[in-house]
Amino acid sequence: MAPDHAGRHYRTLYSTLLRLYPRPFHDRFGESMEQTFHDLCRERECARRELFWFLTWIFCETLADILRENMTRMSELGKTTLRVALVALGLLMVPLVASRMVAGWNWRAGSFVIVYFLFFATGMAYAMIARKMGAWSYKAGVGVALAAGFALGWSNMVHVADSENPANLLYYSVLVVGGIGAWLARMEPRGLARTLFAMAATLTLIAVMLPSGAPPYLARNMAIGHSLLVALFATSGLLFRHASLAGLK
Amino acid sequence: MTKKETGEAPLTPAVLHILLALSMGERHGYGIMKQVEADSEGKVKMGPGTLYGSMGRMMEAGLIRESDKRVDPQMDDERRIYYKLTGAGRAALEAELERYRGVVLVAEGRLAYGS
Repeated sequence: MAPDHAGRHYRTLYSTLLRLYPRPFHDRFGESMEQTFHDLCRERECARRELFWFLTWIFCETLADILRENMTRMSELGKTTLRVALVALGLLMVPLVASRMVAGWNWRAGSFVIVYFLFFATGMAYAMIARKMGAWSYKAGVGVALAAGFALGWSNMVHVADSENPANLLYYSVLVVGGIGAWLARMEPRGLARTLFAMAATLTLIAVMLPSGAPPYLARNMAIGHSLLVALFATSGLLFRHASLAGLK
Repeated sequence: MTKKETGEAPLTPAVLHILLALSMGERHGYGIMKQVEADSEGKVKMGPGTLYGSMGRMMEAGLIRESDKRVDPQMDDERRIYYKLTGAGRAALEAELERYRGVVLVAEGRLAYGS
């Protein structure tokens, strides 16, 4: 095997090994580690020194660090999960106490479980997504988008249950647009900005096109609610746009 | 991030050597490795796992940071990320060297007294 060809072969193997690192670590150092590995191989080959045991040592040493980084990440994930679970429990106290004090608030036990799950899932989504980028605007954008999405999903769930009008299920398409957009954008700020603007546009379109059939006083409140949610989605989009521009500088 | 990497407690050998290597100027990963090897006269050999694992924790602690991505004129046409010491990194290195001086002073006094 020619030295350069062998170097490329080993580099490919090493690149495969590096994929075992946690994603953020791999994104940050993967390319540099590959280069450094390649430099070490080349230095060794130019000096005509044995390569096999040296590479075995490098692979073992890297594998040990991969284990360490993954264990650190799992431990961080455990702490985050515990924190979010406790915060969700704290938030659950609000409807729990309110149901004892407000007349006519008769939630079943299952409703509290669903609400707790929603709080927990939203909190975990924030914790997982917001850590992808250090920029304040990105974190704020994630927070505003999740809060608006939660408010939309929650209010629509209550509204559908009260009105029994299946047409209101159309509002969930805003969340579907958000989910697909976030997946396509791979959580990159530029793509997320477009997704949030698309969500704001979809909600505007539904609010204008869908006849509410509600009495005038209720229709006014609904219009205010819609405007507020559209403004929140648009604000989140602007925050992601800011994060995207800041990342380019 | 543990206290070991923040300068509040003795630094790990890997962190100390990386700080020492970067105290001479910006370096890329391979450059840091070579500098560590030269500084320790070949006694310390650091693999990529130890190097980048330590650098990740040092960056979180604000001891070092990425500088820019450019070609090393002495190597090839691949662009490499360079790393540089921060003010906190320099302060941690100075504090560690001061601690070493204290240890050496005590050790020399004891050895002189013992002989």
